Amino acid sequence: MSGEAKLIIQDLCHHYPDEYTGESVHALEGINLQVYENEFVAIVGPSGCGKTTLLNIVAGLLPYREGRAMVDGNEIHGPGPDRGVVFQEHAILPWRSVARNIGHGLELQRVPKEETRRRVQEYIDLVGLSGFEDRYPHELSGGMKQRVAVARTLCADPVIMLMDEPFAAVDAQTRITLQDELNRIVMATAKTILFITHSVEEAAFLGDRCIVFSRRPGQIKTEIKIDIPREERVWKDMASNPKFTNARDEILRLVRQEVTSDDEH
Amino acid sequence: MTSIDLQQARLFKWKKFATEGAGRLIIFLVGSIILWWLISAFLIERPDRYLPSPLSVVLSSADMLYKGSLISFYSDTLIRLVIGGAVGIAIGIPVGLALGLNRFVADMFYPLMNFFQSVSGIAIFPVIVIWFGNSDTTVLIVILYTSFFPIAFNVLSGVRSVPVRYIQAARTLGASRFQVVRDVLLPGAMPSIAVGTRLSIGFAWRAVIAGEMLAGRPGLGNMIFSGQEFDNTAQILLGMVMIGVTWIVLDHFLLRPLESDTIERWGLVQR
Ligand SMILES: Nc1ncnc2c1ncn2[C@@H]1O[C@H](COP(=O)(O)OP(=O)(O)OP(=O)(O)O)[C@@H](O)[C@H]1O
Ligand SMILES: [Mg+2]
Repeated sequence: MSGEAKLIIQDLCHHYPDEYTGESVHALEGINLQVYENEFVAIVGPSGCGKTTLLNIVAGLLPYREGRAMVDGNEIHGPGPDRGVVFQEHAILPWRSVARNIGHGLELQRVPKEETRRRVQEYIDLVGLSGFEDRYPHELSGGMKQRVAVARTLCADPVIMLMDEPFAAVDAQTRITLQDELNRIVMATAKTILFITHSVEEAAFLGDRCIVFSRRPGQIKTEIKIDIPREERVWKDMASNPKFTNARDEILRLVRQEVTSDDEH
Repeated sequence: MTSIDLQQARLFKWKKFATEGAGRLIIFLVGSIILWWLISAFLIERPDRYLPSPLSVVLSSADMLYKGSLISFYSDTLIRLVIGGAVGIAIGIPVGLALGLNRFVADMFYPLMNFFQSVSGIAIFPVIVIWFGNSDTTVLIVILYTSFFPIAFNVLSGVRSVPVRYIQAARTLGASRFQVVRDVLLPGAMPSIAVGTRLSIGFAWRAVIAGEMLAGRPGLGNMIFSGQEFDNTAQILLGMVMIGVTWIVLDHFLLRPLESDTIERWGLVQR
């Protein structure tokens, strides 16, 4: 991959303390990962393997003690606008209109009003929400809310965008549309993205690279390169794209191994 | 336009008037007065002593208006309500916020507040009288004390009920602690702030009346009290009506619009 590493994770481990039993949950073990500029890295793995834990550490929402995590060369301490997060759902503010949600990051950074207005409009158009600027979240569908969430994160112009199963809560049809759109957005904005998902198809469709996690304690099992140009990534062409189907089947096989080896437990 | 269209248009206008805002209020008030009058005229034996008709209440108010006492009672009471209630709420909001934001502060002050919340304004009245005499200050302190708790406790629980997700989202957009309070916690606590404000003003309103009666300060409360003393039932009813109507008007023109511009617009409550 060309470009420099925007996110560097070295020997990262994580244990959750359990206040009641005094034992701890070993969530992550020896994670080494780099995400390069303009790269789209997808992470898949069995439920409870520590994907969200990793993302929260990078987001700065979860303090870590073992290992290192750096964005743009800076050690991560707490959340910051250089790492934007798109959560699964229920994260845009109900008391802000679509436009004011999307412009919130710029407002917090005290970007001048006129520039904010211009950039907000740009991202509203990008995610296809023109005409909904003054609506409030409760007036939007689930898919539209996630578009707002994506636009809000992009508009703040982070170094890396972190997404934790952002499309898991919408219906299958909307999900496909949103995935196609995200692809288009990635082409248009050239963002660096760390994307977590349960869906093998989603990972193969969106990722330049797909990282497969083992079951808990989460470790990186393998990584698979998915060498399909962005322009060719459109859902209607995927069934006949051997690069896609091969990658998908391979990832599926690896994830299955983890899930079935769970039974021996 | 045909006459049927016209009729329908008229009917529609009337329906709109009857179901919306001030129209509904007027219909409710007029209806209650008619009901009151019917009861007083046909069901009560000695209405002047037990339930004077609306007309005699109006006459008694005309008499007092003429003497000038009614306006001064009413404005005295309103001024106490506004000052005491406003100060109580103005102190209650930041205190509730501080308790909601900071575990340490909450652990320290919560038991104290909980203790005093159970000691009603009337229960502290005697000691305030000992300190400040039968004065306006005494009445004001009781109002302030009474209106403080509902708003403070509601802001506290409102701040705590804001989903952590919203706070995290704002933090990852680069919000400082202060910006989180301004953009997330305060608006997120708005439904509780609205409930608290309503309760506080309602409590303050009761405290004014009780405080005036006990401290013997001129005002609506005192007017009701002296009505009993002089067997002037109409005057008592007049005081009650003025209290109730003032509350309805306050609620309708001040609190409701405040709510519909915020929490209803945001979809945080359904009406
Ligand atoms: N706050 C917490 N306290 C204690 N244990 C936790 C906490 N959060 C997560 N865990 C545990 O850590 C492990 C990893 O959790 P995590 O949420 O990172 O998994 P995940 O891979 O995101 O799962 P899913 O795919 O279901 O979202 C799980 O076993 C979970 O029970
Ligand atoms: Mg998760």
